[in-house]
Amino acid sequence: MSQPMLQVAGLRAGYAEASVIRGLDLEVGAGEVVVLIGPNGHGKTTLLRAISGIIRPTAGQVLLGGQDVTGRPAERIAVLGLVHVPQGDGLFAEMTVAENLLMGAFPASSWRSRRKELAGIYERFPVVAARAAQRARTLSGGERRLVALGRALMRPSRIMLIDEPSLGLAPVAIDTVYEAIAELKASGATIVLVEENFTHIGGIADAVHVLETGTIVASGPYAELASDPAIVQTYLGSL
Amino acid sequence: MAATDIVGIAVTTIILGSIYGLVAIGMTLIYGTLRILDMSQGSMVMVGSFVGWGILVVAGLNPVIAIAAAFVATFILGALTQLVSVQPLMKRRNAIDFEMVTFITTFAVAMILTNVALELLGPQQRNVTPVISGGVNIYHGVNLPYQSMAMAIVSITMMAGLGIFLARTRWGMAIRAVAQDLDAARLMGVPVGKLYPLTMGLASALAGVAGVFLGGLYFAYPQAGDLPLLEALIVVIFGGLGSLPGTVYAAYAIGLIQATAEVLVGTTWSLPILYGVILFVLIIRPYGLLGKPSEARL
Amino acid sequence: MSALPNRTEPTPARPALTRTAPPRSAFPAMTPARWMVTGVLVALAAVIPLVMTNQYALSVMVTTLVLLVLNISWNFVLGVAGVWNFGQLAIYALGGYGAGIIMLHTSLSPWLAVLAGGVVAAFAAVLLAFPTLRLYGIYTSLLTFAFAEVIEYVIVNDGSGLTGGTFGLPIVKGLYASLSLAASARAYYWTVLAVVVVSTIVLAAVGHSRLGIALRGIRDAPAYAAARGVSPMRYRVIAFAVSGFLAGIAGGLYVSYNQSISPSAMGLTPMSIDVTMLVIGGLGTATGPIIGTVLLAIVQTALVSHPGAELTILGIFLLVVVVFVPDGLAGLAARYWRRVSTWAAEDDQSGEAAGQEVAGQEVAGQETGGQETAEPGAAAEIPEGSPDPNVA
Repeated sequence: MSQPMLQVAGLRAGYAEASVIRGLDLEVGAGEVVVLIGPNGHGKTTLLRAISGIIRPTAGQVLLGGQDVTGRPAERIAVLGLVHVPQGDGLFAEMTVAENLLMGAFPASSWRSRRKELAGIYERFPVVAARAAQRARTLSGGERRLVALGRALMRPSRIMLIDEPSLGLAPVAIDTVYEAIAELKASGATIVLVEENFTHIGGIADAVHVLETGTIVASGPYAELASDPAIVQTYLGSL
Repeated sequence: MAATDIVGIAVTTIILGSIYGLVAIGMTLIYGTLRILDMSQGSMVMVGSFVGWGILVVAGLNPVIAIAAAFVATFILGALTQLVSVQPLMKRRNAIDFEMVTFITTFAVAMILTNVALELLGPQQRNVTPVISGGVNIYHGVNLPYQSMAMAIVSITMMAGLGIFLARTRWGMAIRAVAQDLDAARLMGVPVGKLYPLTMGLASALAGVAGVFLGGLYFAYPQAGDLPLLEALIVVIFGGLGSLPGTVYAAYAIGLIQATAEVLVGTTWSLPILYGVILFVLIIRPYGLLGKPSEARL
Repeated sequence: MSALPNRTEPTPARPALTRTAPPRSAFPAMTPARWMVTGVLVALAAVIPLVMTNQYALSVMVTTLVLLVLNISWNFVLGVAGVWNFGQLAIYALGGYGAGIIMLHTSLSPWLAVLAGGVVAAFAAVLLAFPTLRLYGIYTSLLTFAFAEVIEYVIVNDGSGLTGGTFGLPIVKGLYASLSLAASARAYYWTVLAVVVVSTIVLAAVGHSRLGIALRGIRDAPAYAAARGVSPMRYRVIAFAVSGFLAGIAGGLYVSYNQSISPSAMGLTPMSIDVTMLVIGGLGTATGPIIGTVLLAIVQTALVSHPGAELTILGIFLLVVVVFVPDGLAGLAARYWRRVSTWAAEDDQSGEAAGQEVAGQEVAGQETGGQETAEPGAAAEIPEGSPDPNVA
């Protein structure tokens, strides 16, 4: 049995003294799409940031493909094949779409093939191609999200962390974004997705975990959790 | 005001503006990326002047070597300055008044560089051979020294070069990315630990090259960096911290103000008049000429 | 129809929404032992002119002490109030020129002239305070520096002969004109020493008072301070006025002792040296200026023929201190002292030792220099509901 792509054990992380993540365990196998749902402020974003290295865990371990990356700076973990699409897309507002995409291929190994990858992204996301020369801040929310996803694909990745792709988007835009994510899944990507509610994840989630007050309180396949009235009430109610 | 005055002002504006621009643009680059005011920029000009003196006067070699040597020397010094006076504080940047502390540490570096020069080379002002000597009379007695012209051309070229570097190259884009969103840049794999010294080295190198030319106009001596530092600070703060276009505009605006003041009240008092103008501007526009920078943009 | 409540009963006392701090001394960090040590040090300092025969050394000390008064004033506005004020030297010079001109052109007692110098300086400082309120940190540095340059320009270019231009004032008689040279040197020494001691104590007390806490609150957590009804304008004006007055007194003392003052008292080089002293000593602490100034005097005297080496060493010192010991040498000394107290306290379990430890911690907590974290404790103690006409 091959090693899980991502293993998190006993993770604690947070800001200053307040530990937001309190002893969290998680495993993601290669090719799996794992979805974390939970209320706002309970640690979903903090978890992703602790895994990708933006913030340093105060305790616990993070293993990427068996390799211990706990506490390493984000730029080192990124070149090991972890791609994190932050909340609110993290685009460089004053750079053009094309420049943003190129930055996605920054590591030396992927920089060489950046033109080829760029062409690929344009083909896959015509909307992005149409806006290539525009500054990122002039795009609509949905378009920006697509650019962020496109940027995440500019270099080969072993695992993708996506933080609330539907945040602040109109329903039509959300559909487009999730179509793109479904395509990613179809091509075998390993994804950890964070969302606040259930609405769109049914088709793509291999496993769903509920994150509350810094730990995982419920786990299971989508179907199982979706039929639990307590969970449905809490998370389907919040749109 | 006579026509000669106006031509004179235009010429001086272009020359002064280009000098200020070259030194100030380094400070803006540093502020945009590292969010600090680098007080050692002035001393980099001084180092450049002395390198110019060493290569042109002592060794008698040609100006291209002087410029290249000044670039390399100040690049290295600038990178070292970052590693010694800024990097150790990066870890604590949220717990301290980062801007004030780095203001002081880079100021300490300037003090060290200036006084090492004073101790080793003495306070005497040394002539630096101009890169090109002579001048041309362009309009009824308005004399334009070739050195000043060369300086303006080199400055404008280097500012443009920096612009291209930032817009088209991998590391240039990385610098802009870090200035706009540090976390996102790190997630792209940008090694900020290397990028910061690179940025400060580059900015200092620009000041160093400026120093080679300024030495030809104003001598090389240990305190030679004081005035350029002040002028760069004025330009940078006036023009909007973190905005490269703003810095360039402000450089020429300040050049214009100073050139006009020189004609009206004479060279010696043009700087105090400039200060008076700044005082006035800062009172009515607390964030400088271009207003509040929403975020550093480069 | 409901009747209005009958106000026959006294209005009930306001519930204690804030933690009422126990009444505290003006000097929480000082214990009887420390007062004794301080007293001994002051006495030793006072004795020096009686045993020192080297007139040159004595004169250096007087000049250093005058500088120390200036630094104490600067420490208050830069360190405690946290304002990037680089115009303090100009304010000091204004005090000096003011006192000098009054001594030259009026028959007012020189003591009153010095006081008047303080008032002039305070006035100028208050004028400077207002525009700084609108400015973001580093812009303040440029504004105050520009202010200093303009003042220098005005003084140098004064055509009426009042200021004497670049050459400075003509001979001013000063405070002790009637005494012999040696005696007047001693008299000046004791006068300035007294000013140093009094101002250190007063400003230290102010630092622990409501004013000081409010200033630190404004410096470290401005939004919080505003939410607690602390008016930045009022407190900043007070801070500038106090530090300006003291700087003006320093200027007056300078002009008296030197019997003149010239524009060279201001300028970038003296300013860099002063700021270095303040930071090395410890910005915002009570003893920082003393440590920094004394250290500088020692280095300067040792390396008087090598200004380059001297300032290089100072620069290295400055860099090392700021990077490794952000609260300056005073902070380092305070922590070292605390460690010694704790060690001494381990042998003595009484409450007194515990009190000393607490006092020591309060030193670190409240006298910490301008570069430390915002102390949540300090911010929480901003006096609520201080009668503030600016708050509706």
